[in-house]
Amino acid sequence: MDDLLVVKDLTKNFGGLAAVSEVSFEVRRGEILGLIGPNGAGKTTLFNLISGLLASDRGSIKLEGEDLTKKPPYKRSAMGVGRTFQVVRPFDMTVLENVMVPTFAHYKTSKEAKEKAFEILKMVRMDKLADKMPANLTLAQRKRIEVARALATKPKLLLLDEVLAGLNPTEVAENLPLIRQVRDSGVTILFIEHLMDAMMAISERVLVMDQGVLIACGTPDEVTSDRCVITAYLGEEAPGC
Amino acid sequence: MRNNKLKTAAAIFLLGLLAVPLYFTSTFVLHMFTLVFFYIALTAAWNIPAFGGKFSLGHAAFFGLGGYTAAILYVKLGISPFIGVVAGTFVAMLGGVILSFPLVRLKGPFFTLASIAFAEVLRMVAVDWRSLTNGSVGINIPFKPSWLNLTFTSGAPFYYMALGLALLVIGLAWWIRSSSLGYHLRAAAADEDAARALGINTAKAHFMGLMWSSGLTGMIAVFYVFYNYVLEPGTAFSMDLFSLQPAMNGIIGGMGTVWGPVIGAIIMTPLGEFLRFYLGTIQQGLNFVVYGLMLIAVVNFVPGGIVSLIEPWFKKKKSGDSSAADN
Ligand SMILES: Nc1ncnc2c1ncn2[C@@H]1O[C@H](COP(=O)(O)OP(=O)(O)O)[C@@H](O)[C@H]1O
Ligand SMILES: [Mg+2]
Repeated sequence: MDDLLVVKDLTKNFGGLAAVSEVSFEVRRGEILGLIGPNGAGKTTLFNLISGLLASDRGSIKLEGEDLTKKPPYKRSAMGVGRTFQVVRPFDMTVLENVMVPTFAHYKTSKEAKEKAFEILKMVRMDKLADKMPANLTLAQRKRIEVARALATKPKLLLLDEVLAGLNPTEVAENLPLIRQVRDSGVTILFIEHLMDAMMAISERVLVMDQGVLIACGTPDEVTSDRCVITAYLGEEAPGC
Repeated sequence: MRNNKLKTAAAIFLLGLLAVPLYFTSTFVLHMFTLVFFYIALTAAWNIPAFGGKFSLGHAAFFGLGGYTAAILYVKLGISPFIGVVAGTFVAMLGGVILSFPLVRLKGPFFTLASIAFAEVLRMVAVDWRSLTNGSVGINIPFKPSWLNLTFTSGAPFYYMALGLALLVIGLAWWIRSSSLGYHLRAAAADEDAARALGINTAKAHFMGLMWSSGLTGMIAVFYVFYNYVLEPGTAFSMDLFSLQPAMNGIIGGMGTVWGPVIGAIIMTPLGEFLRFYLGTIQQGLNFVVYGLMLIAVVNFVPGGIVSLIEPWFKKKKSGDSSAADN
């Protein structure tokens, strides 16, 4: 199958802590790939390495065969890597303006950027809130701004960092189809999620991280029956893991 | 509808301003208006990097570079100030290129400190490089009235030029703020990393902002210097007049907005003149005490500046018109 992203031996240490250690995997074009793991496993750090906000100590990241490892974040974005932040980081401007910011990469005039941003807001069903300030919105709505902004960069690969975390079940049920809808529009998705049910419902393959190491990779069923994964989640020691 | 009313009011106001020199022959009134216009322009130019959250206290550097360039070209080489404007703008932008190194590398107060140091160093160079600048004696613009020499017998021409400059810089600031550069700067001010992850070359945005700001400041300085006939290092690179004052105007009016500098300059210019002349004679530096108190009051009670008090009322007037993105 066609690999969109290939990550090889990616490593990042914070002082003595190996936050990401020798991680290798690939993301296939058009798939929804889940990434799970206990808190502090290094998932967000992995996203920071792929999006370029952190420089890796070792290893390589390739998108469509092109090496991203040394490129600044804005170039990676232009090449097709989009991301959201686990802790939402809306800019201090209206919802529409928030989405306009990245839209300028593709549309030069603010009129075009505004129209395009509005289209994206419609897609994530936030168009009615276009003139609101993010500070006055619910967490679920602010997470949608994150997604809308990332989509405005026209990513080939979208990294979603816990876009469902902190939402109530109704909101999860509303936001979940959005992820599939985005994939169906041609965007490959790598997403971090804590909610196992949600994860299992929409991902075709799942990566599991623990303490900076990739410990399993497979279909949701394979992964959930993996002894090492169960151990990582239950916190017990198991020989050979 | 209301938008139209607003436009009509603005047009009438502008016509009124055009008529001022016809009705006020008092040089003091004309001078005060002219000074306010100059400061609106200077503050609006200072404010462009502030769209990106960059707080400069070194804009006197660009003022001095622009002013000195045109004055030296005119007095030493006889080159018309109209060419001097172009050269002054360009040299001020070169200063901007130098300050852009700390601009993109240093955050918050560290950039501000670097900007202060930059202007101070240039002031000292202007004092020491006597062959070029006449040192602390300064340069006098000879009084040879003519359009080509940018020298006039009445205050009216400079009144109109300063008004033109103010309108030009406000217009440019508005245009920049509603263009991609403005959005990129505002995003960088709010969250530099999030902006970078969204594809924005924030270093380039800050750089472009400073290019506009430094160039415009240098350009305004040329007119200001010819208006004053004289420049010396202590005034041309004055921390008080051209670094602190625009920054004060900006904070009091509303930093990072289009209209904040206008409001700030209108309030602070006459006040600043008053404080310098009256309090300055009682005790040197007393005007800074008043500035400090005002600053504390604004930062604590209206952190968005005076414009944030007026804006809601203004927005209501414009509602019905869905232009949420341009203010
Ligand atoms: N910038 C940083 N500096 C130092 N330590 C960090 C930094 N970012 C993350 N860490 C540490 O790296 C580990 C992995 O964190 P993170 O990637 O956020 O985990 P996850 O997203 O899987 O919960 C944690 O122990 C965290 O404290
Ligand atoms: Mg995380």
